[in-house]
Amino acid sequence: MNLQNTKLSFWKVVAGIAFVLGIYATFVRFTQGLGGATNLTDEFPWGIWIGFDVLVGVGLAAGGFVIAATVHIFNLEKFKVISRPVILTAFLGYSLVIVALLFDLGRPHRIWHPLIMWNPHSVMFEVAWCVTLYTIVLALEFSPIVLEKFKLKKTLRLVRSLFIPLVILGVLLSTLHQSSLGTLYVLVPDKLHGLWYSPLLPVFFFISAIAAGLAMVIFESFLSQRAFNKKLEPEVLVSLARVIVVVLAVYLVLKFQDLAGRGNLTLAFTMSREMVLFWGEIGLGVVLPMVLLFSARVREREEGLFFSALLVIVGFVVSRLNVSITGMLNSETYFPKWTEIAVTVAIVVLGFVIFVYAAKHFPVFGLEKFEPGKGVPNAKTYSPAFSGNVVLAFWAVLLTGIIAYGMAANHVNNNGQNKPPALYAARSVDPLEQELQLPKNIVFPAGEDSPGPVTFSHENHVLIQERPDCTACHAGGYAIIATGESSSIPAGTMHEVHSCGKCHNGEQAFGIEDDCESCHQAED
Amino acid sequence: MSFGILTDLTKCVGCQACAWACKEINGLPADDGAKKLAANTWTFVEQRRGVSIRRQCMHCLEPTCVSACPVAALEKTETGPVIYQEDRCIGCRYCIMACPFEIPKYEWDSVQPRVQKCIMCYDKRIARGEQPACTEVCPAQATIFGNREKLIAIARQRIADNPGGYVDHIYGVQEAGGTSVLYLSDVPFSELGFKTASKNGAYPKLTWEILRKIPNVVGVGGVLMFGIWWIINRRITLEKVRNGELSEDEAFGASRHEEEAI
Repeated sequence: MNLQNTKLSFWKVVAGIAFVLGIYATFVRFTQGLGGATNLTDEFPWGIWIGFDVLVGVGLAAGGFVIAATVHIFNLEKFKVISRPVILTAFLGYSLVIVALLFDLGRPHRIWHPLIMWNPHSVMFEVAWCVTLYTIVLALEFSPIVLEKFKLKKTLRLVRSLFIPLVILGVLLSTLHQSSLGTLYVLVPDKLHGLWYSPLLPVFFFISAIAAGLAMVIFESFLSQRAFNKKLEPEVLVSLARVIVVVLAVYLVLKFQDLAGRGNLTLAFTMSREMVLFWGEIGLGVVLPMVLLFSARVREREEGLFFSALLVIVGFVVSRLNVSITGMLNSETYFPKWTEIAVTVAIVVLGFVIFVYAAKHFPVFGLEKFEPGKGVPNAKTYSPAFSGNVVLAFWAVLLTGIIAYGMAANHVNNNGQNKPPALYAARSVDPLEQELQLPKNIVFPAGEDSPGPVTFSHENHVLIQERPDCTACHAGGYAIIATGESSSIPAGTMHEVHSCGKCHNGEQAFGIEDDCESCHQAED
Repeated sequence: MSFGILTDLTKCVGCQACAWACKEINGLPADDGAKKLAANTWTFVEQRRGVSIRRQCMHCLEPTCVSACPVAALEKTETGPVIYQEDRCIGCRYCIMACPFEIPKYEWDSVQPRVQKCIMCYDKRIARGEQPACTEVCPAQATIFGNREKLIAIARQRIADNPGGYVDHIYGVQEAGGTSVLYLSDVPFSELGFKTASKNGAYPKLTWEILRKIPNVVGVGGVLMFGIWWIINRRITLEKVRNGELSEDEAFGASRHEEEAI
């Protein structure tokens, strides 16, 4: 018991630190703008708030629609036990994605604009609508749990009568936006590396989200077991693992068919930073877990199951980051700022905290009798088989992943493919030889006491420069756009610094006071 | 009438008159000293390999940014310019991601940031029947404004009159499905940092081909799933009746048993 208490407080400390940093980063974000809070630039406008928080967040929440469909449409009863925690996770996941968007959008207070300002040709518009609607659907799918707790029978009956249409709507919306997140990148064929760019990106995003969503269900069941002493449903989880193998197999075949079809298969076997990341994603995140899960011995051992699910998740994260960050043009110019990381970590921690709170206070787990505040009463106390090894494996995979990814991402490609071009191109003309059509002479009429009008000639002034540079004068306060108004200078101000005197001061150009006739024409 | 701009690199002397006129008419600060396009530099004459190249928004005929924007803040006007309605923009920056020419820039350091780029003086000049400030001030006539079709004819004529003086290509006639801004050059465009944008047509069709299938997915998918649910549920109910777990009244009345355990 003591051990568990200290563990709990350890995680509380971690969560506390994450929140403090997150709140400070939030302050930076909303007082200094995206420029102060991120390393984003015009060359690289989307960072980890999109690549990780949104793309990975939405993908890992895909378990929600898959399990909802399995339980309620295909009526596979045995999965019912996991349906509530999965729907809760999905609902939390989507809510947090919206929170992340509030950080990433330049004008977060206008997040609702797509709902009334339509552009049906925009993928982003479709994603905005689907994510909004699906978050509402998830809230409704989760609502029976809340309604049960507060014994609101009438509302509960209403939600239940709508449940099947809701689930179907949820599946449709999920299918659309899971794939549309991939479609976002179909628009940038010149910017996304050939290993990832494909017109089939929506299909890849959809399939990989199913695998990752299911792996997340397994992963989360193990964590719940540790946190709440909740008994596992080994049979259910092993069934999920079998499904994951099939889904990953489909993904793998499609992926390589697509690469071959577009003639980009060689990229997968030509040494480059992208190749390393590609095999990290495919080898560790697809092939290895397939092999592991294919074996009944691994699949039916807790460590094996957990470890394989973790690999699928890590592989999924890498694949999304590859599309959104490392595979994109100019990615070498970007590494997330601490504020970007702090916000991301705080959002993930927030998700865990809310999940734990909900699991403690609402009948999330199982259909057993439930007493608020006391957790699940008749959960079996679980043997500690799942602890040492698995936790070690977890951190090992995670750390290796992060380090390897960081190294690969920072590895600069010095293969010398981009030879610097010769300094000067061979030109057939010299533009400087042409006669410029400079503006007409400007005549400044004579003021009182003036010896005569002054004519400003561009020819006289431009020729003194080796190469014409209009900003030399025009950036200094002389308007370049003709206003059409008479441009007389108030009498007596000609010699002052904002006028001729600016340059004609005896240093940059001959001084004004020397010889009046050289500029002022005597009146006839 | 669709207008455009033709920039002839064989005439450009790199004087930056266009860049300055742009800043002046749009009230953009000059402080940056930038050597490339930025949020407050909408056009700029870049020096590359001894060639002066005026950069600006290409004003595509079917702009990628316009199709990307979820709130229709970017718009291709009938007269040619691609314009931006600041009050719609949510700041998702998908336009910056999407543009094949890497043109739109963002006010990163502002807490109310805008997307910024050349709008071809559509409000200050074109709407009044005048040409943009940049083409007006060019002392070399290197960048000229006019009807896009006429500009293409002029460009063809220049190549025909002086075949050795130009590469036989008008950049912008086909690139990204055609752009309102066109370029002529004596040095191959690929050597001057011009994006090798797709000549196979406009970019928006890439995603539109996928998006237009959505109604079918929703219709067919919805019916399919409802059908599957109905068949499976009916079988389960019938089996329960057969096994005596349910009476026929319970099964075929208004019972909602299948949802009780949600």
